[in-house]
Amino acid sequence: MAILSLANSDRLYWLGRYSERVYTTLRFFARQFDSMIDLKTDEYEEFCKQQDIPNIYTSKEDFSHRYCFDEKDPNSIYSNLIRAYDNAIELREEIGSDTLCYVQLAVYEMNKARLSDAPLLQLQKVIDNIAAFWGMADDSIDDENVRGIIKLGKRIERIDLYARMRVSADEIKREIRRLSLRVRRTRLKYSMSGIVHLNYMAENTGIDYPTVVREVESLVDLTEVKSAIGF
Amino acid sequence: MVAEELYKYSDPVNELLARYGVKFGIYKNNVFKEQLFPFDTIPRIIQKTEFEYLERGLKQRVMALNEFIKDIYSDKKIIRDGVVPEEFVYSGSGYLAQCEGVCPPKGIYPHISGIDLVQGKDGSWYILEDNLRIPSGASYPMIARDLCRKSSPATFEKYHIEDNRNYAQLLRRTLDYVNTGGHTVILSPGRYNAAYFEHSYLAEKTGAHLATGNELTVEDDKLYFIDYSGKKERVGAVYRRISDEYLDPMNFNEESVIGIPHIYDIYRKGNVALLNAPGNGVADDKGIYYFVPRMIDYYLNEKAILQNAPTYLPYYEQDMRYVLSNFDKLVLKDVAEAGGYGVVFGSKMTKAEKEDFIALLKKEPRRFIAQNVIDFLDIDIYDNGVITPRKADLRAFVLMADEPLVWKSGLTRFSRDPDSFIVNSSQGGGFKDTWVMADI
Repeated sequence: MAILSLANSDRLYWLGRYSERVYTTLRFFARQFDSMIDLKTDEYEEFCKQQDIPNIYTSKEDFSHRYCFDEKDPNSIYSNLIRAYDNAIELREEIGSDTLCYVQLAVYEMNKARLSDAPLLQLQKVIDNIAAFWGMADDSIDDENVRGIIKLGKRIERIDLYARMRVSADEIKREIRRLSLRVRRTRLKYSMSGIVHLNYMAENTGIDYPTVVREVESLVDLTEVKSAIGF
Repeated sequence: MVAEELYKYSDPVNELLARYGVKFGIYKNNVFKEQLFPFDTIPRIIQKTEFEYLERGLKQRVMALNEFIKDIYSDKKIIRDGVVPEEFVYSGSGYLAQCEGVCPPKGIYPHISGIDLVQGKDGSWYILEDNLRIPSGASYPMIARDLCRKSSPATFEKYHIEDNRNYAQLLRRTLDYVNTGGHTVILSPGRYNAAYFEHSYLAEKTGAHLATGNELTVEDDKLYFIDYSGKKERVGAVYRRISDEYLDPMNFNEESVIGIPHIYDIYRKGNVALLNAPGNGVADDKGIYYFVPRMIDYYLNEKAILQNAPTYLPYYEQDMRYVLSNFDKLVLKDVAEAGGYGVVFGSKMTKAEKEDFIALLKKEPRRFIAQNVIDFLDIDIYDNGVITPRKADLRAFVLMADEPLVWKSGLTRFSRDPDSFIVNSSQGGGFKDTWVMADI
């Protein structure tokens, strides 16, 4: 197994989280956008509330543009994609140029979508490139640990977003099962009680959305090693 | 035309370079920006026999430069014998007193040298500059070749061209040769460095670990890489892509936050190899360049195979007189600058600028060199569907392990501005692949 620095393990984890955030929020946004075509109501307000992001938008048109493309809005999909890119660009030697290039391509497609008359059509290419990035990561990253940390970040982010957006309990249960298999395969320090609790909810008591968010957010802790080596 | 097939794929090849993030960073108004490095698919072609001649000259030059650095930080015979004036050695910013008496592993100082050449219209090659500190650029033709081969396999089937994609293996061999035991790392200042693409690409291709200063630590006279669980792994070779002054705050610039405290102390003890060796700047100063043919004679007892561009040192009275009376025919270079900065053409100055410059020249003659403006051989580029000539140079790479080895390719940089001689990427230049033909 190759050596992996703390900074890179952190980047891999957040690359997984931000790439998933872009992927899932784009899909939620597309659904929301479609729904707003028929309704005059400001449905996006609820969307912001569920995601726990401030509603800084003045209309559904403003929301549609700024939530996707505003580089100054830290909660925009654009900002999250740039965070994924910022992590990926420093991981070339871990993930390889053939995997990294799909994040780069997603950024190019996002920039094209920003200028497009039909942004939703162009944004599909961002989703495609994120999916290709994961596929390539799975296929070409030799180091199981490197691959595993990206996937762990992705799983945690997905459950977090699904719980916030009140996705069906069955879907969340499925993701919890996948997470509990994944987390054991990395060498990252994680909360055993957290994973037990999540599994217990999935198998027995049913999903309590706020608890799920709390548990997944605190599942992995990179700070302990960081402070030990003065990072 | 040899590369005709390649022209039509210029756009797709550049798109693929963008896809792989082949960029360089640049600061404009204190804001960092990543820019694509424009690639021209028409290669520079060097015939086998011509390259063999360059190869001999480059090996000779780098061997002499290695001897010079070794001598300066030990016996200083070349100064005592009056071949190089001591003012040129000690007043240059590249000389580091901390390197006195320090011998690197296996006595090699410039492991990776980037030697800049131009070809005159008469076909003669001239050395423009020696880069012995942290020369960059090899990764660009390496990745471009890979993509060009995909775009036109028939071209590469038809012409027998030396494969340049072995650079990473050659580099790895160079790094391993001096490794004192342990992992090999490429030390980068981080992603906001102009050459970050190259740092990360070479790490990927050589299998070395890309690291920043805070991931490495010195303990018990050894260098360690700290992994994410806090475990320490011994490091034996550091291909450092940060300048001497930032390498170690305990030995050089104490304000450096990107270096590794005490790394220079353990290097001095032979417990880690640093590539290139600190202190090499003493030999690639633009003022010292003037003396390289004399060094070749002095250390190797040979006549220099490759010539310098005709150069004048205003420091010498006779040269100052020449410079003042031929000012408009010369290009003047500030020896402390790099990257195409600090270069002015006498013919392009206004009267007032000229007066100011001459006053400065008289006040600080050691600071400048003057060179005849070489009428470079123009090289064709494919610009918006039109083939048009541009000025270009060649950066050749010499890797020194058990013996010097010249990479059979090089970075050809060209000026995109038809009126400019400045080819640096930071000044808007583009690049080409350099083909070395395998058959006579």
